[in-house]
This record gives sequence, structure tokens and C-alpha cells, in this order.
Amino acid sequence: MTAVTLSEARPARLRVDGRLGQFALLVPALALVTIFFALPAIYMLRMSFNAHEGGQSYSEAWTFANYLRLLTEPIYLFSLGKTFLLALVTAAVTVVFAYIFALYLWLQRGWHKLVFLAIALCPLLISEISIIFGWWMFFPNNGVLSITLLQLGLIEDKISLMYTVFAAIVGLTYISLPFGIFILLSIFDGIDRRVLEAASDLGAPPLKTFAEVLFPLTRSGIVVAFSQAFVWTIGTYATPIALGPDSLWTIGLEIYQQMNTWRDWPFASALAMVLILLVLGSMALTRRLTGRDVTHHV
Amino acid sequence: MSPALELVHLSKRFGGVVAVDDVSFSVAQGEFLTLLGPSGSGKTTTQRLIGGFEQPDSGEIRIKGQRVDRLPPYRRDTATVFQSGALFPHKTVAENIAFGLRMRGVPAGEIGPRLKRALEVVRLGGFEDRYPAQLSGGQKQRVALARALVVEPAIVLFDEPLSALDLSLRLQLRGEIKGLHEELGFTAIYVTHDQSEAMAMSDRVAVMNAGRIEQIDRPENIFNRPANEFVYVFIGESCCLPLTVNGALRAPDGRPIDLSLARPLPEGAHRLYVRPKQLRIGSEAEVCENRILGRITFFEYLGDVYRYHVDVGGVGLFVDHAGMAPFGPGDQVLLGWSSRDMTVFQ
Amino acid sequence: MVWPFSQSDLFRWLHAALVTLIVLFIAVPVAVTAVMSFNDASLIRFPIRAWSLRWYLDFFSSSQWTQALRNSLEIAAYTTLVSTVFGTIAAYAFTRLRFPLKGAFYFLVMLPLFMPGIVLGLGIAIAFGGVELFGLQLYGGKALVVVAHCLWAMPLTFMVMEATFKTFDERLVEAAYDLGGGPVRTFFEVTLPMVSTGVISGALFSFVISLNEFVMALFLTTRDTQTLPVLMWLSLRSAGTPRLAVAAVVLAAAVFLSLVLVMLWYARHVRKLR
Repeated sequence: MTAVTLSEARPARLRVDGRLGQFALLVPALALVTIFFALPAIYMLRMSFNAHEGGQSYSEAWTFANYLRLLTEPIYLFSLGKTFLLALVTAAVTVVFAYIFALYLWLQRGWHKLVFLAIALCPLLISEISIIFGWWMFFPNNGVLSITLLQLGLIEDKISLMYTVFAAIVGLTYISLPFGIFILLSIFDGIDRRVLEAASDLGAPPLKTFAEVLFPLTRSGIVVAFSQAFVWTIGTYATPIALGPDSLWTIGLEIYQQMNTWRDWPFASALAMVLILLVLGSMALTRRLTGRDVTHHV
Repeated sequence: MSPALELVHLSKRFGGVVAVDDVSFSVAQGEFLTLLGPSGSGKTTTQRLIGGFEQPDSGEIRIKGQRVDRLPPYRRDTATVFQSGALFPHKTVAENIAFGLRMRGVPAGEIGPRLKRALEVVRLGGFEDRYPAQLSGGQKQRVALARALVVEPAIVLFDEPLSALDLSLRLQLRGEIKGLHEELGFTAIYVTHDQSEAMAMSDRVAVMNAGRIEQIDRPENIFNRPANEFVYVFIGESCCLPLTVNGALRAPDGRPIDLSLARPLPEGAHRLYVRPKQLRIGSEAEVCENRILGRITFFEYLGDVYRYHVDVGGVGLFVDHAGMAPFGPGDQVLLGWSSRDMTVFQ
Repeated sequence: MVWPFSQSDLFRWLHAALVTLIVLFIAVPVAVTAVMSFNDASLIRFPIRAWSLRWYLDFFSSSQWTQALRNSLEIAAYTTLVSTVFGTIAAYAFTRLRFPLKGAFYFLVMLPLFMPGIVLGLGIAIAFGGVELFGLQLYGGKALVVVAHCLWAMPLTFMVMEATFKTFDERLVEAAYDLGGGPVRTFFEVTLPMVSTGVISGALFSFVISLNEFVMALFLTTRDTQTLPVLMWLSLRSAGTPRLAVAAVVLAAAVFLSLVLVMLWYARHVRKLR
């Protein structure tokens, strides 16, 4: 009440407190996402129906050719399928690792917990390129792994895991792991530990306690963490080409190639629309499965 | 027949802190024993050791003669009513209560009737399909109670089950628990820091302090015949008058004082305790066997009595007096008490 | 506390062993890179035979690499400024206002955070590729990179600040008004100090995100404006040298330094509040 009377006593132009003034505070953020995300996305949608001929980036048209090309030419379908599979596997591995780690973190106390939190935070603070480079020195013939195993006498010849799907999944998991850990930790932190004791107390052995109590209580966290890792991996560009085999041609890489090598803007835009759809689709699916918004959970 | 529960020289430390220090007692079949003590006294740890949530460093726990101290919780015949209730939030009331029965391999045909009876016992018929989030605090504790009782464990453990509830609900539920105990005859270990709860419900009370049991006895004896100074001070309100014997018995201000004692006190410092309700003031004090002069500092109205705060040689005492007495702050008054109401500790 | 499922040591050991493996997994690329940065040889080879700081000298005497570092820091600083201010004021108004389509506003503001960098980069590149402002080519300039990075950083600060303002006690503002503080003064003297922890962590997130990001930057920079991660990526694609390890360490050092500064500030701040 007081607020109203006081501000009414002031000249109108000072009334940042008024509703209109407060709406003005929303404008910069809204402008940023509208001008640099929403409008370009709509522009890309329009662009994806354009044609690409000769030396020009695009020519005005209304055609489904780009989408047809995507759905009929095997290399693009393969690329789509591979990206999808890669994202699924990475998300699954991420969730397993993140679950084990977050559960451990949840059970720790005091400085011990802080140390493990700091460890979980590490991959989040390091650039994707540095992570790629680290594994790039670890996996090849003359890399740390091969040399170490050789010196330990565990192998006789140098080995290389470089440029394998395995290496790509390792790199991708590394990047999405911290998000998974923190999402799951926030779920664990909302659980009263005594329910586990209660289950045990009432006669449930360890694995039963997990299946009957802990797993159902953390299910939504698992779904959100999975979706998060999936969304991140599906649009990835750098890690799969740097660590994976040449055959691991993801959509992200395809977009880059179409844009920079072939200067085929319409087709690059069509591919980008597919990515956007996949992201929106997995967000919607997550929401259906958990009743929560992914956006509420990072 | 062996007792329902026996603890033998049980000890547990966390890092450098001794939480439970050489605790031994046994509980008879059907007995209601309360562990009472301030926070950090080791009462909860003792109970968690019995439930199997902590492992003892040394000592033994026997349930009906069988050693259980190395068994995990799910192999012990105990069931706990947790402070928070610890209901499974993703299961309905019925599923919560049936959980223990399923885990203990009770045949499916038997679960239904037992569940129904348990719901009746805690008066929650019709709440089967609710989730814990849809229940009030009191209802949650009733479900927690039913969930523990329905498996008919050798021992029911109560971990401050009422401390999160408001006063009237607390009084009501404690009556219900007591009633169920009389009706069903289970053996109970009840942990609380609320002495009235302990006094009202228990067959016996174990007063704990710093990991040790100070006294274990019937509630009346805990109050009337405290084993030591800690129990005296912890149970009920008390006034303390420090005394010294230095040639003669002296009050806090150093002046000699005359007390009617059964036998003389040895040289050194002593502390005399009286309950505020047993102290007399003014003309009522003149007939008492023991008397001392003091000055009123202030008084307050507590609803049923007036409490007079009296300074005696620098020591603050307080006296509860029914009705207003004819004096105010600054007045010199006589305090008196009967010898049988005082306790002296060295 | 008993391990949740069992007192049996088997489960506890198994869990601890798996966690150790994950910690090793997290440590491997960090350790390998840190070690390699002190390598004396001119090639990436293991085991390392001689140690030196020559690659650090090499990094800091190369104008191309130091310029990239400067570009990165500059872009990160502007991204932090813009996204913190925009995110904070928007979250402030958002928590206090009720309006139709509030959910849609939240979704729109948060959505870019979930979009792949390649999509955001492509969108900005094709939409603003030919745009000139005041006779200056937007494309290739740092401004566009800042804006692109803000698409990730701003939603994050918005989210952090929205959570912070939700827990903020509105009565303090009323008390300030009651005592005669105007809205603007109240915001700066009461509201902002109360939520400073949120603001600082939002700013830190923004800085780190911008410093580390390179897919959008790859789309939007030229040789003159390229950031350190972009240069690292291009250099890795042609031939990896130990200089890359130094660059990775320098980048990580910048991140950790900002983290330490924030922690020091936070320690002082907390002491003041006690």
C-alpha cells in the first residue's frame, strides 16, 4: 500500500515501479532471443524451402526438394540414424555414470562431499576443445593408453582406440556427464534418506530397496538427465569428427559441410530444422514422461 | 524365557566422539521402555544400533536371545516409526502399509485382511488410495505407525514420532499409541526428549546423558528418587542453592546457615536442590524446617501460579505460589522448605 | 550412516570402485594435457623425456595465439555483461509480474539454451551474414559472437536469477519503500545486494560458457576475430602440437582464476553477513 502512495507522489517518469516500467525490463531479454534466435529460426525455416543452384547460396523458391533429399538419399538417412544412435548410447552411458556418481555424492558429508562436487564440476569448466585434445593424446598408437599398457606388459603391440565410435562416445559422455550428475543430485537431495532405512527396516534387501524405492523416486531425474544428454549429443559437431571414425558423419557435421564447403544454405537449413525438431521432440517427450519441463531442470 | 531385547556393553563412536558408551539393559516381552535424554545424549544412536542402521564398535544386541548386532536391518525383526514418518512418497497408504508384509513374504491372500485391520487400528479406513503428500502430519504418523505394527515385529522402535506435530495432536496421538500398546501388547523402545511424553507412556524410562544411561527405572522413581544430580536437574524444574562446608555450613554469601539434615555434610562444596513447587514463601515458610532470607527481584504470572524470583546471596531461586502473595520487588522475604523435599549433591 | 542398500561390504566396495573409475575418467584428459604442456620435445610423444616451459614461451610470444586469447577474454567479458544485466532485470520483472503467456515467455527465453550451437551459429550466420550497420560489416565481428554466446549465457543467468528472486523476501522492498526509499534506489541498495550471490554465479556461468564455446564462434569469426578455442580447433585439425596443450592450460587457468576470484569474493561476502 505504502509503495503505491509513495510512488504516486513522484513524477511519472520515475515510476520504474509501475507495471509498464516492469514490463520494460523484460524487453532486452525478449529482444535478444527474438532477434537472434526466433527470427533466424523462422528465416531458416523459410530458407529450407529455397532452391540451391550453381554458384549462389540459394535462390528463392517454394520446394520440398531439400527435405525429400534428406529422406531419400541414403547417406543422409544413415547420417541421421547414426547421430540418433550415437546420442542414445551416449545418453545411456552418461545416465549410468551420473547415477553412480550422484548417488555417491548424496551419501557423502562435509568436506568429502565438497571434493567430489569439485570433481564433478571439472568437466563443466573445461572447453570441449580441450577435452577433445586430452583424449586425442590418450587413445592413439603412441598415446598415453597404449604406451602405459605396453610398459606394464599388458599388451605386446601398440594399440589404438583413436578414430573409433568408442572414443567418440567417451568424449561425448565426458561433456554431458556433469549435467547428468547435477540433475540427478538435485533429485537425490529431495529424497528423505530415512525412506531407504524404512525399506530396509521393513525387510527389503538391498536390490529390492533399489527397485522398490530408490529407482521409482529418481525415475524423473533419470529421464531428465537422459534427455539432457541426448539433446546435447544430437547437435554435436566437433567431438565425433575429432575422435570418431570418418564414417561417423553426424548431422552437425553435415550442416557445417553444407554451409561452409558447398555453400548450400537451403539444405543446411533443412538439416538444422531437423535438429530443432529432434530437440523439441525430446523436450516434449520428457515433459510427458515426467510431468516436468526440461527447462526447469538444468 | 529370554527377554525381548538385551543390550550388552554396547559402544559406538563417531570419529572421536563417543555416542554410546557401554550401555547395557534388557527389555521384557511387552514392555514399553523410553530412552529419554537431551540431544546428543546417545538415545537415537542407541536406537539406530538396535534397528541395524549403525554398527556397534563393541558389545552385543540380542532379540529374543538371538544375536543380531551383525545383521543388516532387513534381517532383524524390528520395525521403526520414524520422526519424519519416512513414508514412501510414491506409494499409496495401502502400498506403504503392505510393503513390509510383501517383503517378509506374507502370502498375498493374507495381506488384504491384515492391511484392512491395520487401517482400522489407526483409524484410517478409506484412506487406502491416498498418497502421503495428501495426508496431514498426524495422518502420516498414523500410517507410519500402521506400517510398523502390521508386520508384528519383535520390537517396535519409535524415533521421536511426535516431535514434529503440534501440542494437541501430540497429546492425542500419544494416548493412541499407549492405547494400542495396551491392546496389542507389542514391545516398544521409544526415543524422546520430551519428559512428559516419557513419563506418561512408559513402563520404564532410561535417562541418557553423554552416551551413558544415568538411571533406568519406573517413571515415578525417576522423578521422586533421581539417582544423581543429572537426572534431578533434567527431570522437572529445580532450584539450586550452592552451599559450602568450611568449619560450618554456609550459604552462598558466606553466612552460616542452619539446615535440618539427617547427617552432617562433609567439608567442601555442595549443591542443594528443591523443586519450585515445594518451596514456601513468606508466612508459610515460617513453619518449615529449613529457612533462608532472600529479596524478591521480580514476579511473573504463569497462568496457574505466580512465580516469584528471589535473590539469595547472589543466587537466583524461584518459588511458585498459588495466588498473589502480599509482597513485591525489593521486599525481603523468608523462603522455607521441608527436609524431605530437598536433595543435596556433592 | 549405513550405505543405503546394505551393510555388506561388497556393495560398498563395488560402489566405491565404480566411483574411482569415474574420477579417473574425469581426470585423464586433464592430467594428460597438463603434463604435455610441460613437454620439451617439439612433437606430442609419450613417454615424456624432458621437461621445460618452452611451449609456454612459444605460446605467449606468438602474436596469433595471444591475440586469440585477447579476443576470447574480450568476447567473454561483453557476454558476461550483457547476459547478466539482461537476465537479471528480466528475471526481476518476471517474478513480480503476472501476465498472459507468461509460460510462453519463459519457454522462449530458455529455449536457445537447449539448441545445438551449430543451429544457433547457422541461424545467425545466414540471417546476419550480409547485414551492414553504420557501414560496418556485422559478420565476422566480435559483436555477433557476443550475441551468439548470450543466447546460451542469458537464459542461464535468467534461470539462476529467477530462482533467486523467487526466494527473495518481498517485505524487505516494502520496508525500504516504507522508509522512503524510491524504487530505483531500493533496487540498487536493497534488492541487488540481497541477490548478489545469484548475480555473481550467473555472471561466472556466462563468462565460462563464452570462454569455452567454439562451434558458434567457428561460424561467426574471421582470422582476425577468432577466439582461442577456435584457433585450437583449427590447429588440431591441421596438426596437433604441444602448443595446444599450453593453450588448453591457459584457457582452463582463465576459468579457474575467475572461479577463485568469485570464491574469494563470496568468502568475504559471507563473513560480512554473519
